[in-house]
Amino acid sequence: MKELFPAKQVMGFVASLVLTVVALLVYYTDMSFTVGMTILLATAFIQAFLQLVVFMHAGESKDGNSIYTNILYAVFIAVVTVFGSLLILLWDM
Amino acid sequence: MHIDNSQPLEYSTQQNQLNILGFWIFLGAEIMLFATLFTAYFTLADRAGSGPTSAEIFEITPVLIETFVLLTSSFTIGLGVHAMRLGRKNAMMAFFGITLLLGLGFLVTEILEFMTYYHEGATYQTSAFTSALMTTLGTHGGHVTLGLFWGTFIILQVKKRGLTPGTANKAFIFSLYWHFLDVVWIFIFSFIYLKGMM
Repeated sequence: MKELFPAKQVMGFVASLVLTVVALLVYYTDMSFTVGMTILLATAFIQAFLQLVVFMHAGESKDGNSIYTNILYAVFIAVVTVFGSLLILLWDM
Repeated sequence: MHIDNSQPLEYSTQQNQLNILGFWIFLGAEIMLFATLFTAYFTLADRAGSGPTSAEIFEITPVLIETFVLLTSSFTIGLGVHAMRLGRKNAMMAFFGITLLLGLGFLVTEILEFMTYYHEGATYQTSAFTSALMTTLGTHGGHVTLGLFWGTFIILQVKKRGLTPGTANKAFIFSLYWHFLDVVWIFIFSFIYLKGMM
């Protein structure tokens, strides 16, 4: 039975639970918008990275480099799309 | 078909390796798809018109249930893939089954949440905010729904054919899809719900 619960994945799960609870502090405590958003950005991206490495085994095969390059590129496009639009449409720059 | 026994079953043929790489490229496109939905949402989140605002309709309880249920399902499917690599077919099917049940729990909670919004006067047509919100949540929920059917067929095929390079490859690719849905949910949870209730 023990072999079905590898330490790496259990630790990954515990880490994502902890990160979720940290993110919830934003709701349950009183903090400024800037501090809150900083915490959320940190917890969300760390947790996404954790999923990618621990659960999705992104780097385990010989295609690991191609996979990381592809995901990194997609994330780059995503970030530029989101923040580029915010910059022009909401933040008036 | 050349089978390389030094690799886990799902990587054991060249076709299998290409299938997995190809699916990662598809996930890259999915990241960009959700980026455009998030862009629309962030741009329109404050345009509630005469309808309710995010702070008025968001509730923490269903969001907490959805988050922990989906997070746990991502863990159990990870265990499913681990069991598959040990050749433990029954354990693998059990973990995949638990994953799908949790997925169903997520979906039921989300549908109830949508019904609450409807009764509070926040429908798809109410405002730019509700349209963008429901398109984003709906696209994610639609992916989960598809995943429930996909996963069911994976379990049935593994039950029927056993763990072969073919079925292991399909099961592994499904696990990538499911983990990805959890990643998207982390961003929905953080930047739609928590930001909206802050």
